[in-house]
Amino acid sequence: MARPTVILVGADKGGVGKTTVARTLIDYFGAHQTPTRAFDTETPRGTLKRFHPDLTEVVDVTSVSDQMKIFDTLGSAEAKVTVIDVRAGLLSSTLQALTDIGFLESAKKGQITFAVFHILGSSIASLQEIAETARVVGDANYFLVKNFINNTTFFEWDPATYNSYFKKIKGAEEIIIPKLNEMAYEQVEVSSVPFVSFIGNKGSKGEPANNSFVLRGYVRHWLGNVWGEYDRVKLVDLVSPKIESNVRQVAS
Amino acid sequence: MAFRSSITIVASPRPRVGKTLLARLLTDFHLNEKRRVAAFDLNVGDRTLAQFLPEKTTTASVRDTTGQMALFDHLVAYEDVTKVIDLGHESFEAFFSVAHQIDFVEEARRRSIAVAILFTITPDHTSVEAYRNLRTRFAPATLAPVHNEILGPAQHRDKYLLATGGAGIVRMPVLAPGLRRYIENPPFSFADSRMGEGVDMSAAALSELQRWLRRIFLEFRELDLRILLADLRSSIRFGSGT
Repeated sequence: MARPTVILVGADKGGVGKTTVARTLIDYFGAHQTPTRAFDTETPRGTLKRFHPDLTEVVDVTSVSDQMKIFDTLGSAEAKVTVIDVRAGLLSSTLQALTDIGFLESAKKGQITFAVFHILGSSIASLQEIAETARVVGDANYFLVKNFINNTTFFEWDPATYNSYFKKIKGAEEIIIPKLNEMAYEQVEVSSVPFVSFIGNKGSKGEPANNSFVLRGYVRHWLGNVWGEYDRVKLVDLVSPKIESNVRQVAS
Repeated sequence: MAFRSSITIVASPRPRVGKTLLARLLTDFHLNEKRRVAAFDLNVGDRTLAQFLPEKTTTASVRDTTGQMALFDHLVAYEDVTKVIDLGHESFEAFFSVAHQIDFVEEARRRSIAVAILFTITPDHTSVEAYRNLRTRFAPATLAPVHNEILGPAQHRDKYLLATGGAGIVRMPVLAPGLRRYIENPPFSFADSRMGEGVDMSAAALSELQRWLRRIFLEFRELDLRILLADLRSSIRFGSGT
């Protein structure tokens, strides 16, 4: 029996590729036939909504009415997984809000599965966030994501410092998002479709598209690696223990 | 035929082992069989193939994404054209690395295009390793080792495992030294009707050249059958392609 699952994708800094990670998660659960919905907190205009318009609602996570929209519907919504793309800089305060409304308490009791995807920035400041976030997160499934998708990210931490922070969080897991060919990445951006649709050569309404086979190949290979990371940390078991993923099968 | 067309990659990580001559022979062989052919030249700075087959040759590169798109998207295009790739040694690594990442061989199969790799065998470790690597990474392709006899006896041939069910090595016999100058200067075509056209060659020389060519074309015909057979086999193994 699947428990409602909430995945918070956030970073305290912009431009680290949060939304990209959120998109791969939505595709991943889609591939596992797990009904998923998403909330984009980049009001008023959300990037996530552009790629997954049918699943995504743009909300203001600091407003009470929008909090109700998300959390009061967890049990009743058809979607078993709720992905929340938290706007840059709001991760800590969102977590604080979740503590205040007793959400983290329910997570602790096991009524809800709660996971945090913390996308790391390149600076030391981002390490300090880890410590800060760890304090609030408590028993959540905590994933530290190193995002190399654009390769512009230059990680300036030295391994020893990083590990000392990493160890502060009990059970934290590391996820690596590998680099994606720039042109392939741009083409998906331009197409404004989910990665899976791009690979399957489909447009936003499921119509046949005319994407380069090479670029589709790069995206497929990359998404396969990303999903491999999600498989490795047994992400799907958090929601409901089930089957393996295969990018090619899903896309064709 | 189960497959609609084929792509043959003439490859070796070594320079000067006769790849371009092999690519020319193969392209002319297909022309001789009245097939529509396109040749792709992936040599850096060397346009030999284009000099001999100006109308059939496209210069290609895999160094950047744009070049990769131009090449691979063209290769898997839905068209009834047999394709030959002259893969220069400088492009060997990059070509196969991209091909592997984008599942080139599998995509070609899905589009009823058979892929074959003609690999010129040499005794060096790099080539043996590269061959072994291709065997594991491109299992659905027909990997055929080529023994270019001008490079000497193939005592190293047992280092090159043949694909399951594959017949022997493709042999490229030595051409009599006196005849080499005829075929090494453009324009020159091995396609039957035009052979020797415009070349001042004695009747004896021409018939020797033709004998040599017949032996090679026979090898290519066998190769065609092997590609067909491999295709049928994998269709049975993987379920008939979609």
